[in-house]
Amino acid sequence: MLWPAMTQLNFQWELLAPEFILVGWAGALVLLDLFWGSSAGLRTGRIGKEPLGYLAAAGAVAAALVSLFWIGDHKNFADLIDVNNYTTLFRVFFGLTAAFACIASARYVKDRLLHPGEYYALILLSVVGANGMAAASELLTAYISLELLSFSLYVLASYDKFDLRSNEGGLKYMLLGAFSSAIFLYGISLVYGVTGSTHFNAIGEVLKGDTSDIDMALLLGLALMIGGLGFKVAAVPFHMWTPDAYEGAPLPITALISALSKSAGFALFLKLFTQAFLPLIDDWRYFIAALSVATMALGNLVAIQQQNLKRLLAYSSIGQVGYLLMGIAALSPESASALVLHMIGYVVTNLAVFVCIIIYYNWTGKEEIKDYAGTAERAPFLALCLSIALFSLAGMPLFAGFATKFILFQSAAQEDLLWLAGVAVFFSFVSLYYYLLIVKEMYLGEPAERTRFPTPWLEYGALSLLVAGVMFVGLYPQPVYDAVEDSTATIFAAVEDSAAVSERP
Amino acid sequence: MIPINDFLVLSAILFSLGMYGVLARRSAVLILMSVELMLQAVSINFITFAVYLSPEQFTGVIFALFVITVAAAEVGLALAIILRLYRNKQTANVDEADIMKW
Repeated sequence: MLWPAMTQLNFQWELLAPEFILVGWAGALVLLDLFWGSSAGLRTGRIGKEPLGYLAAAGAVAAALVSLFWIGDHKNFADLIDVNNYTTLFRVFFGLTAAFACIASARYVKDRLLHPGEYYALILLSVVGANGMAAASELLTAYISLELLSFSLYVLASYDKFDLRSNEGGLKYMLLGAFSSAIFLYGISLVYGVTGSTHFNAIGEVLKGDTSDIDMALLLGLALMIGGLGFKVAAVPFHMWTPDAYEGAPLPITALISALSKSAGFALFLKLFTQAFLPLIDDWRYFIAALSVATMALGNLVAIQQQNLKRLLAYSSIGQVGYLLMGIAALSPESASALVLHMIGYVVTNLAVFVCIIIYYNWTGKEEIKDYAGTAERAPFLALCLSIALFSLAGMPLFAGFATKFILFQSAAQEDLLWLAGVAVFFSFVSLYYYLLIVKEMYLGEPAERTRFPTPWLEYGALSLLVAGVMFVGLYPQPVYDAVEDSTATIFAAVEDSAAVSERP
Repeated sequence: MIPINDFLVLSAILFSLGMYGVLARRSAVLILMSVELMLQAVSINFITFAVYLSPEQFTGVIFALFVITVAAAEVGLALAIILRLYRNKQTANVDEADIMKW
């Protein structure tokens, strides 16, 4: 296997501009908070905790916009980081996700947390990690990016340092995360040992040949890597940390974990399995399908009995991971697009749900389902948005959840996994039950008081955008689907390109 | 030359010991040490493969270096979080960190 020699490597640093912006912005936020922050000893010219959040959001949006510059390009930085449509899609997506998380954090952080500068800096750094996971074309880069994302989230999850639940959630997340990355690494080392390379395409090339003499080590490595990635995306049986980390973490961070960590995990999962492990699909397809069924079943069934809304969403997110894993089990260009589309729809919807919960928490400091009794009377707009988002999560027509799930299930059925799609439809119906419980509580419950809540205009603005996104994807998914298809086509094209290269004499 | 299998067996034993430690130990600090053991097993694996299979490339060695660095960062982070729990609860035992269940 000949890989480009050192002299040919492309060191175009400007390809990493979005990441430089994010890192620079993160550093600037820490310094800003240190010298001009609300707790600095200055008399004048202080920056409050709240504007800092909007500044951070601006940084994330700026990085997302700058990454648009490489639409349609096929570039590669030093043979380690791809900059193509796949990367661009995820850079924009992660940037906007983080921006919404920052906006939703602003008031929460002001009221409840210390050290806002570091808080926002860590959010931006986690985006750098997520970008790297989507962009990596090599295992070391992917691993470092994964750890950058995870480490930022470990700290953020335990950020409320005087709250025992936050400490405990963070500790469990951290210990299990370290354990799973060790497993992931051992898997990488075995795959490196048998294939002799850490580049996705080079691994794919080797695996295309005869692998009968290295089968055991290879399959063990593959299983360990699936385990490590399964942890990051919270697939059963590697999901144990999810409910605790979700419940313990500060609310906006729960939103960030559910959106960023999950979608970055799937971005890497999809790319790695397409470019490196596609030749072995018959070996891992049913393994992943089994994980998918277990994940759907456990997530949706345990969610039914939850009282705490964050915990319920944790289990519901586990259930959603089950649907997403279908896309990997049925790996084909169509199912890859369907997976990414469903993920985008899910993240947008989930962010809308979390923005609602954060607004409600800012008003009342409560997060149990029964505390939502009669919300429709006290805050009609919030109740409406939350209902729309929950219906979308359950996969009702009109909303994003239906369209994206439909495409995903269809693509699985096309790859002879009709039974899996059937199981998924069944559990979608189960999930409708517990989402409806919340809606019922909001519209039929008796409120404790009847006074209206004050209107948080900015949060409502962000919420309207997210709900509009949910409706848009639900009613007219074509443009989003086209963009997604464009981007996933590049990772499948990369497989063919490398095949063409190796066939040359 | 020592056969490659010796190294791989050593690394597998270390990895399994670490995994046993993570599952069996109840103190957060000891769990962390067990994770370190697993990471060192990974480093041994990488260096072995780099030396025996592709001595002209540095990938495995560089990977091992990064693993060591990341492991160091991980310890710093984990100890800080354990310390927070210890300050608030006077324990670093993961069994007693049980406010949240199911």
